Amino acid sequence: MPASELLASPSNRKGIRFDPRTKLFLLITLCTLILSTDNSGLMLYLKPLLALIPFVLLLLSAKYWAGFLYFVLYVLGFVLELSWGAFGNGVSGFIVLMVSAIITRFTPCVIAAFFLMTTTSVSEFIGSMKKMHITDKITIPLSVVFRFFPTVKEDAGAINDAMKMRGITPKNPMLMLEYRVVPLIISTVKAGEDLSCSALTRGLGAPQKRTNMCDIGFHLWDWLIFGICFCYILIFCFQNQICSLLNL
Amino acid sequence: MNSKIGAKDLITLGIFTVIYFVIGAALSLLVSIPVMVPFFPAIWALINGTVFMLYTTKVEKFGLVTLMGVLTGLLVGLTGMGFWCAPTGLAFGLLGDFIMKKGNYKSFKHNLIGYAIFSIWTSGSLIPWYFFAQDTLAKYTQGGYSADYGTQVLAYTPWWSLLLFVGLNFICGLLGALIGKRIMKKHFEKAGIL
Repeated sequence: MPASELLASPSNRKGIRFDPRTKLFLLITLCTLILSTDNSGLMLYLKPLLALIPFVLLLLSAKYWAGFLYFVLYVLGFVLELSWGAFGNGVSGFIVLMVSAIITRFTPCVIAAFFLMTTTSVSEFIGSMKKMHITDKITIPLSVVFRFFPTVKEDAGAINDAMKMRGITPKNPMLMLEYRVVPLIISTVKAGEDLSCSALTRGLGAPQKRTNMCDIGFHLWDWLIFGICFCYILIFCFQNQICSLLNL
Repeated sequence: MNSKIGAKDLITLGIFTVIYFVIGAALSLLVSIPVMVPFFPAIWALINGTVFMLYTTKVEKFGLVTLMGVLTGLLVGLTGMGFWCAPTGLAFGLLGDFIMKKGNYKSFKHNLIGYAIFSIWTSGSLIPWYFFAQDTLAKYTQGGYSADYGTQVLAYTPWWSLLLFVGLNFICGLLGALIGKRIMKKHFEKAGIL
């Protein structure tokens, strides 16, 4: 079931390739900066520009549909966030503010994570983590985690359907645990045992140093993204000084 | 017995971390209600006891609980809930590992207490509310969220309640492990997972 795999296989990929480390750095930058800044001063103008980067990258990697959806959602959220006062101070204004704040804060991170996962194969991921000298103890579980998110989601949907078909709609949370969580654990653990076997037959547990055929390295685009992220972090650290310098 | 952590252990760790994290993340929707914020770690510990109890049947080597804490903490951070959980995951994971090692990961008593201690790591999500209250409040007020949210959460978290909620977290960990034990008997042994 290739469609359900989150980490892409290298064959079905189009567009420019980025180094996985670049994508990871972008993800961390986005998560920390967008979540911890407010809409005042410089950041009001710089934050949408930062949020635009994943959009450009999605286009460059030929993921037009996802990029388009993200762009529309973000612009909508941003406009609503700036103009929520127009909806009044009552409940409707509050709801608009909540929804738009969630959109503008979380979609850039989610989409950067989506970009990282859909354009990186497991081998590339492991290869680049190796290059950063991160131990197998973090790398292997983390790649399993990424590999399993879609499986868990799919299984949860199937279990949901099955329970509906049997007419089980649990109302109390303890039954929820028995009818939803238990089957989910069982199916995931079973799938995990298969994965474990297949990984071991491919020599994941071998004592030798593993070789990697992926072409991992920094190119012009990677340097560009790294530069932009660094600039943003610097601006973020010194934003008060810059503001006073520019008399904002 | 080989005491070094091998590839198979790491894959098992990854699988259980996924379930552990996904269930926790689903529960984290509760946090949008201010009063649930201090209760969230306890609820996480209560529901995930089942997952962890099953995990203990596969763990035999020192360090796997610690790694689970660190990994989940990192995932929690990457999904935008703050990075405080990574250091607490490391600290309480180590404590849990030490306790469970005493029973060689086989004794239920040690696993029970080990899980309850380990699950206190989720209380790391409360650190911003207790120790950096003013900064956090400022962040929520300026950050576009309603100012009410921050003030309401702070109203539920006076400084003396920290011990209370951490204690609750611990007790819910014990309860979660006990429930997990029962569920394991009822379902997993039949299904041949153990």
